[in-house]
Amino acid sequence: MIASTGPYFQDAISTLISLLTLFSFLAVTVLSLVWLERKALGRLQLRLGPTRTGPFGLLQPIADAVKLVLKEDIVPNEAEKVIFWVAPIIVVISAFMLWVTIPLTPSIVVQNLENMGLFYVGAVGVIGILGLVLAGWGSANKYGVIGGLRAAAQLISYEIPLIMVFVSIAIVTQTFNLVEIVNLQSPVPFILVLPLGFVLFFVSGLAEVGRTPFDIYFAESEIVGGPFVEYSGAHWAVFFLSEYINTFAIATLTVLLFLGGWSGPFLPSIVWLLIKIYAVILLIFWIRGTLPRLRIDQLMAFAWKVMVPLSFYLVVCCSIYVFYGLPWWALTVMSIFGLGVVGVIIYQYITAPARKVAEVRERLRLLQMSQEE
Amino acid sequence: MLSTVKGMIQTLSSTWRGLRKPVTKLYPENPTVLQNRFMGFPGLTWDKDIDEPFCTGCMVCIRNCPTQCMTATMKDNPKFADESSKRRKIVDEFEINLNRCILCGICVDVCNFDAIVMTHEHEESGSYRDGSRMKLDGLLEIGGKYQTQSGWKPAPKD
Amino acid sequence: MMQDQQDNQTIDMMLNMGPQHPSTHGVFRMELRIDGEKIIDVKPHIGYLHRGSEKLSEGEQYHQIITLFDRMDYLANFNNELVYCMAVERLLDMEPSKRTEYIRVILCELNRIASHLLYVGTIGLDAGAMTPALFSFIGRDRIQTLFESISGARMMHNYFKIGGLKQEVPDDFVRMVKDIMPVIRRDIDQTEKLLTFNEIFLSRTKDIGVITAEQAIDYGLTGPCLRGSGINYDVRKSEPYSVYQDFDFDVPVGLDGDCWDRHWVRVKEMHESLRIIEQAIDKLPDGDVASPLGRRLIRPSEGEVYVKAENPRGEIGVYLVSDGTDKPYRLKVRPPSFCNLSAIQLLLQNSWVADSVVILGSLDIVLGEVDR
Ligand code: SF4
Ligand code: SF4
Repeated sequence: MIASTGPYFQDAISTLISLLTLFSFLAVTVLSLVWLERKALGRLQLRLGPTRTGPFGLLQPIADAVKLVLKEDIVPNEAEKVIFWVAPIIVVISAFMLWVTIPLTPSIVVQNLENMGLFYVGAVGVIGILGLVLAGWGSANKYGVIGGLRAAAQLISYEIPLIMVFVSIAIVTQTFNLVEIVNLQSPVPFILVLPLGFVLFFVSGLAEVGRTPFDIYFAESEIVGGPFVEYSGAHWAVFFLSEYINTFAIATLTVLLFLGGWSGPFLPSIVWLLIKIYAVILLIFWIRGTLPRLRIDQLMAFAWKVMVPLSFYLVVCCSIYVFYGLPWWALTVMSIFGLGVVGVIIYQYITAPARKVAEVRERLRLLQMSQEE
Repeated sequence: MLSTVKGMIQTLSSTWRGLRKPVTKLYPENPTVLQNRFMGFPGLTWDKDIDEPFCTGCMVCIRNCPTQCMTATMKDNPKFADESSKRRKIVDEFEINLNRCILCGICVDVCNFDAIVMTHEHEESGSYRDGSRMKLDGLLEIGGKYQTQSGWKPAPKD
Repeated sequence: MMQDQQDNQTIDMMLNMGPQHPSTHGVFRMELRIDGEKIIDVKPHIGYLHRGSEKLSEGEQYHQIITLFDRMDYLANFNNELVYCMAVERLLDMEPSKRTEYIRVILCELNRIASHLLYVGTIGLDAGAMTPALFSFIGRDRIQTLFESISGARMMHNYFKIGGLKQEVPDDFVRMVKDIMPVIRRDIDQTEKLLTFNEIFLSRTKDIGVITAEQAIDYGLTGPCLRGSGINYDVRKSEPYSVYQDFDFDVPVGLDGDCWDRHWVRVKEMHESLRIIEQAIDKLPDGDVASPLGRRLIRPSEGEVYVKAENPRGEIGVYLVSDGTDKPYRLKVRPPSFCNLSAIQLLLQNSWVADSVVILGSLDIVLGEVDR
């Protein structure tokens, strides 16, 4: 029996092993991210970060995990029990599924989907939204409902520019294969070819994982955690886990699509990849330490008035580039032009209050002068 | 955009400062230095010349305490009988409920005998409620500790 | 058709914000009626921190009440002590020495800076930026350490006495204050760079929570909330108390009366306070700070008095009635936070849920003072 199903069985075993490896890799990564975030934010704010658990507080994430798992798992009386239980599972499964096809080097990958890697990433990434909405709705909490609806609005809006960037990359490279895309970047990484694409991807990626300044759906100071407000213990830990996995995924995709992936001199490719990923992640933490949060209407306006038109512009540029067979720097020029135009628009739009302030100060100065006279 | 970038540079430089010299100090190893005038819990002082407390149990502080957190009784001073002390009366029992004390320092201001001081003691914690009712010996102990630590002297009488 | 319309009607949702909510600055509860993310109506509920300070005062002797004032506006302890001491001094018809007054002014202005620094931190947190809060606490901690070396306590000082100070300031007081000033200025700038002109912060606060000058007067707003609307009214200037007439300082005034203007006024006020401290420390006269009353029981003659002063949060007034005994017959406080909070209903109407916390933060209330 076994012999007859041999190749299939072996395939299943090896896939299982690689899935388990992936799972443990991601778990370790999340632990490292938790530690890194606390430590980096701490130093940024002139604090120390965790110090008590192990050298440099390295064991802090483990202590956190143990605490979360041992905590009582409270389910509110009014909650829809099934939805309440299913929501975190949906979120975490979508976070893990995303990773099945993301290559860390040409050889380290669970299953490189030759014809649809990028497509799969775009498709699976959306499932998590469902979990967030269900979590908000199922916990029978008004903050949760607001948070869940905010999550739906925000994530769906920012999904569009994200996928449009995927599309433009697919147009330029003529492939959905992630390994192929990375290999094509060996002389010029795509950040030089598509600066606009990089900005769009990074910003909508931040929005997609709900990082500052787009942490609107769980804004602590307004809706105290949004969809997660009723969750505790292991359930909350699962949300936490998926949030960090998603952050890591966005950083990895940024590196794979724009920063040349694992290519780099001297060091082995996996090391290069990790260096680049962690650099992007530190950038995300740095932004978190600096910026305040947008409001939901500003966020939506930003998505639909700036990001979406820009991403369509990018697709058009890429099509022109492919159709006429222009040199790669032509795309850069077009891209930077778009960035410049939109830069002006955003500047006008976001700094409207700032300019008003300048006006006000001018008026104040005049007022003071007239008083002095 | 511009001031966002400025803010980013600001946090970058603060990260550099944070890496070299963070502001936070670790607590038990490196506690904040108490200033000389720090007001911790009140304690009673000990007259080393005569070997008895300064406090006569006159109840002035008790009447002036805004939270009514102290009680005291006085007794005849046995040392007055054998003329080794000038105090006719001496404190018999003294109790401060440190849970109610608001560390205002009024008792120190009003005491006529310099018998009570605000010590530097501030880390008293107990596991049951009554543990914070400090009796005479405890108060004398923290007061005496403060006396030796800070070289406290009673104000010269004029 | 009718059926359709009825189906499409939305219903308002009641949302209880507080008393346990991270951004209501204490135990304040807002009952929001929201339509989607828009606030239609708001019902504020106060009283969770009511300790009956005014009634308690009737049972305490005059010198004990200072401790209660410390605990009303617990971010501006010196300012609160000052206004109460001034009230009793006016009842007794006495004048503290010049040195006392100067030291009081220096400490009050330092406390104003500490309070405004905390405000800058909390408005940052309300708007979602976490770093300004931690930066501003560095400056606040420096000031509080200075306070500790002077009064012995970091917050509840009980240092001002009726007619004087509890004890002479330490010998190196002048040096300490002079040393701390450039550091504080740097701390203020550091916090400000992160927040005040940040585009996102501007878009969150500019034109949000607008209150016009007329409305502000109608609602009895005072302090930065009133000046943010463009009215140049500061008790320190209009009716100088203590020794404020000796100093040269400006009163920063906003124009639009929105959250950002209130923020900006506070930031500028910190710099003005530094100016006042600079002048005061240069002019600091010699003399005695001990109260001429000594340990005597304070028994003002029958009478009543109303004294007002400028707190970080606005105009605080103390109405004190004495019946000739050692305890006041009645004591009424006009708390600035309470009066400023009264405008919340007007400010929150038709704003977003997310703005509610920013608007509340920009009013800079202290619940200890609202509920007393
Ligand atoms: S501490 Fe001073 S005031 Fe209080 S009972 Fe003793 S002697 Fe009297
Ligand atoms: S410090 Fe104040 S509250 Fe405490 S015992 Fe003395 S008078 Fe009472």
